[in-house]
Amino acid sequence: MRQTVTLTLDSKVQSDSKRLLHSLIMLSLLLVASVGLSLCLGSFPTSFTQVLHALAAPQSSDITFIIWELRLPRILLAILVGAALAIAGAILQSIVRNPLASPDVIGITSGAALAAVLFLALLSTTLSIHWLPVAAMLGALVSALLVVSLAWKGGISPSRMVLVGIGLAAAMGAGTTLLIVISDDSAAMTAYVWLTGSLYAAQWDDVRGLLPWLVIAVPISLAFARHADAMALGDAVAEGLGVAILRSRLVLLACSVALAGAAVAFAGGLSFVGLIAPHLAARLVGRNMARLVPASALVGALIVLYADLLGRVAFLPKDLPAGIFVAGIGAPFFVYLLHRSRARF
Amino acid sequence: MRVLLITLAALIHSISTANTPNSPPESPRIVTLYQGATDSAVALGLTPIGVVDSWLEKPMYRYLRDPLDGVEHVGLETQPNLEKIAWLKPDLVIASDFRHARIAPLLSAIAPTVSAPTVFNFKTTLTMVANATGREAQANELLQLWSDRVADFRQQIAARLGSEWPQKVAVVRFKSDHVRIYTSGFAGSILDELGFAQPDTLQSQSWGMKLSSTENIPVLDANALFILLEPDDPAIADNYQHWASHPLWQQLSAVQSGRVFEVDPVSWMMGGGVLAANAMLDDLYSHYGLACHTPLPNRGEEPSC
Repeated sequence: MRQTVTLTLDSKVQSDSKRLLHSLIMLSLLLVASVGLSLCLGSFPTSFTQVLHALAAPQSSDITFIIWELRLPRILLAILVGAALAIAGAILQSIVRNPLASPDVIGITSGAALAAVLFLALLSTTLSIHWLPVAAMLGALVSALLVVSLAWKGGISPSRMVLVGIGLAAAMGAGTTLLIVISDDSAAMTAYVWLTGSLYAAQWDDVRGLLPWLVIAVPISLAFARHADAMALGDAVAEGLGVAILRSRLVLLACSVALAGAAVAFAGGLSFVGLIAPHLAARLVGRNMARLVPASALVGALIVLYADLLGRVAFLPKDLPAGIFVAGIGAPFFVYLLHRSRARF
Repeated sequence: MRVLLITLAALIHSISTANTPNSPPESPRIVTLYQGATDSAVALGLTPIGVVDSWLEKPMYRYLRDPLDGVEHVGLETQPNLEKIAWLKPDLVIASDFRHARIAPLLSAIAPTVSAPTVFNFKTTLTMVANATGREAQANELLQLWSDRVADFRQQIAARLGSEWPQKVAVVRFKSDHVRIYTSGFAGSILDELGFAQPDTLQSQSWGMKLSSTENIPVLDANALFILLEPDDPAIADNYQHWASHPLWQQLSAVQSGRVFEVDPVSWMMGGGVLAANAMLDDLYSHYGLACHTPLPNRGEEPSC
């Protein structure tokens, strides 16, 4: 009898990890193929051989600039932004135990937006626009700190944090609107493009600026994945399993803030990805954190990559912000999610 | 007005082809990334190989459609399509720091790039485009023509209005759900050069003011109002109707003295170049009933406004 149970468990674990491996390989292949497709499409389509030639021998190709300086950094930034936002969302949904949580909930996007618009309205004449990501990142960090400290009551209760986060986001949204109203047309227009979220004119410096955040935050989140799973069962259970709840929660929260804040700093208000990518990934690999992180990252990367590809080539010669298309995919999904959760609870 | 612009453009073209002793260098392959740069290039007799979409009358302002017939579009002024610009292989890109500072490194990698600090100073833009394309002589001629017209206008309007001069005026743009008053920028700086003053209520405002309630109508306490509407958008005309029928509007001194003028937002705001500036000045001549100063009197052209 006992043997049978062990056997069943073993085979379940085995088939589960097979399924995980299968999903991750499929997603990775899809991503590689999509990168190839994105590299070939642009204002003028270039053939796969031309692209390969430009990649392999940049000196002797006449589309080197287009491939290496325009398409490639933009594709890589799309992937990094999508992955960072999706992981940030997956972590948050798990620690606040709410499937509708996203980086917005702890004020990251609204803080970054307020700081970015403040920068555009007041400082853009004195400081170079290249400081905009720094301003946005600072805004995200300050507002996340505000949410945590306002929600602090001898520890962090997830539901308090969500409420404080929503309140603070509303207040900062009002500040953003006020700034747009009082600033001149041109600054307001730049602010709108930023708020929509765009990968337009991504450069290698942007890729280099975002990558370190992922390199640091992703391994830490994976190391704490077990704790996140335990906390998802409730604080009491997690404590019983020996998890130092407060420390784990703060570390995971910090990872989420760093990932989402950095992504938003370089791409603007695309945070919707952080809401939908983890859900899509969870359908493929389940809610186990250590699996959800890589799967969400791949799904998020794919969403942003395709949203940007659409913006780049669907309305030529216009180059439209990717945020339009992320929202276009995301909004119906959000409604579906609400509908499902209503049916369930 | 359109006739004037075409005449002016043709005139300038004839200057550039016939009258300059050493004719200017071959037209370079240029891409203009803001409205004022496109207007200035056309004024200098250049045909860009790539331009950005216009803000109104899309994809290109009617007054520039003929000279820019068949020219490639490279997307929006706020987000021009870099790849398309690169494919066009330009010799020169004309940009503005204000809009394009972030993409400046990429633009410079595509082609030599000149960049104006703002988008609305038409003289800076004209001089910059001319210097970059070896057309300084034409630019100087256009600027001379402009200052002659400004001097003539100031003299005529002072004589016509007497003690009513200088007038306090406001440029009022109607949108579908609010109203914007512009004190600086393209129209503001031209009105300033012509000697107009601003209503006291608007003096401390940096760019202008946004009004969303008819309660604020008394802010528009000016001797004359220039109303910018967008003919393509009926909601804007409705909003204007709504404001103009309000009792407070009827009490405005500009309304009572019959000096509320509907003007073309393209020449008053969006065009941003020397052609648009001249069209705006034509409007002012005709609204104040002044004899139009002909563009180039010694050439025997018909007066065009």
